[in-house]
Amino acid sequence: MTAESRPAAISVEHVARWYGNVVAINDVSFTLSGGVTGLLGPNGAGKSTLLHMLSGFLRPSTGSVAIEGTATWANPDIYRRIGLVPERESAYTFLSGREFVIASARLQKLPEPEAAAARAIGLVEMESAQDRPIGTYSKGMQQRARVAAALVHDPPILLLDEPFNGMDPRQRLHMMELLRRMGSEGRTILFSSHILEEVGRLAEQVLVIVAGRLAASGDFREIRRLMTDRPHTFTVRSSNDRALAAVLVGQPTIAGVSLDDGLLTVRSNDFGAFSRMVSGLARLAGVSLHELLPTDESLESVFSYLVRR
Amino acid sequence: MNAVVARLTLRQLLGRRRVLLLLLLGGLMVLVAFIYLLNTTGGGQVADARARIFTSRLLQNFGLAVLMPLVALLMGTATLGAEIEDGTVVYLLAKPVSRRTIVLTKLAIAIVGAVLLTSVPIFLAGLIAARGLADGLVPAFALAAVIGSAIYCAMFLAFSLVTSRALIFGLLYVLVWEALLAGLFAGTRTLSVRQQTLAFADALSDAPRSVLNAQLDLTTAVVVGGILLIGATILAVRRLQHFEISGETG
Repeated sequence: MTAESRPAAISVEHVARWYGNVVAINDVSFTLSGGVTGLLGPNGAGKSTLLHMLSGFLRPSTGSVAIEGTATWANPDIYRRIGLVPERESAYTFLSGREFVIASARLQKLPEPEAAAARAIGLVEMESAQDRPIGTYSKGMQQRARVAAALVHDPPILLLDEPFNGMDPRQRLHMMELLRRMGSEGRTILFSSHILEEVGRLAEQVLVIVAGRLAASGDFREIRRLMTDRPHTFTVRSSNDRALAAVLVGQPTIAGVSLDDGLLTVRSNDFGAFSRMVSGLARLAGVSLHELLPTDESLESVFSYLVRR
Repeated sequence: MNAVVARLTLRQLLGRRRVLLLLLLGGLMVLVAFIYLLNTTGGGQVADARARIFTSRLLQNFGLAVLMPLVALLMGTATLGAEIEDGTVVYLLAKPVSRRTIVLTKLAIAIVGAVLLTSVPIFLAGLIAARGLADGLVPAFALAAVIGSAIYCAMFLAFSLVTSRALIFGLLYVLVWEALLAGLFAGTRTLSVRQQTLAFADALSDAPRSVLNAQLDLTTAVVVGGILLIGATILAVRRLQHFEISGETG
């Protein structure tokens, strides 16, 4: 099979999933092959639903989800090819980390389960705690044990649902380094996160999902630019709002100025430029700035902006 | 059967406090038998007949009516239901192991656990109260409890894959269907595992029918019990093959 004819590692075509009248995923399509991809979106956007469908734990209401050309739903054979780290913080607390990873290796029917488990435990740097019961682990350590279990059969595809939850900064850095290295080795890694900074530091590609729809996909820097270049709204309190409004109106980066009920609201196309120039303009107009507040800066509003584009 | 699934299931079941409670419940039945033994005096045919009737009542009303369904309910619902509830089932299901193998292995472990916690105390209590095997009455109860436990476990395991309230539905079946309705309406007894078990005990023992007072004939018990056992197992396999993770967290 040539590289051109080889099916994509992950292929999602016109997938929708609804629960009764609630649409969780709506007509999502994308393909992924190799490298690290971040699935970014606010809580409740549908990231887990999508990952559940990719990992064969949820049937798509319409459309198709395939791993290397094979449908994932009700097909346990796909688990030879994927490693899954679920979001839910569950674990066999009565097993030690090593026992848990060896059990995973045995369930994968690996020829040398102990050796495979030792390798996977080494990858996540858990050697010193491997013989303690998982019940005694911190959240971050439990997460690393789960990652080791998912990696034990050296899968070409790795799916991780909010993998950095509960990890301290050092563990987070180490996990990012591990995933980056695995991505550069040609593995297809898809991880979900609601934290922009996390995705920015790790992912080359990004899928932005909002309210069940794929709002944007592609190179992370391009998406980041779209997010920062959107119009920003500020509320301003000063010693003379009317005079400040008058000097702001003519500026090229200002998209709109309004003064309603004594509240000055300014819309700018360039967050950075406006923040830098507003104090100088106020000084020129002889106005003292009391307060400058960016409004509607939540991640949800940023995502909503991408959807509306 | 999958050895890893079996070991994991066994460790999960044994690690639960409820197993200790079930052991105590079985021990209580043995204690009742022992108290009866201490309070009976004399020998002869009359005493033997009395002991046999007491044994039959004890094993029916405590062993088959309380201990067997309760043990099977906790074993059957916990063997897979507990993992579904706490989310650990994902680690088992996200492996290239057929769902049928997982269900059959878990069912086998649940049955072995239920038999150990049911048939062994039934045999011991019977042996003590009847001061012997009582013409096969005691082993008949213990063997019948093996079959009854298997049917119950298959049903309750299937319950745990159909509803998250398997324990409540299982209790309703035991308390309402078997204890209440089966006493009022003869037709409902056909679907009572307890009545089927009694029919098996009756068929396996040499004791007169009046001692056990079985309400179902053996053929009905075999056919209906077989349908329940196989039907519940097939249902459980199908449910696990189409298992979905519910709930959206992100």
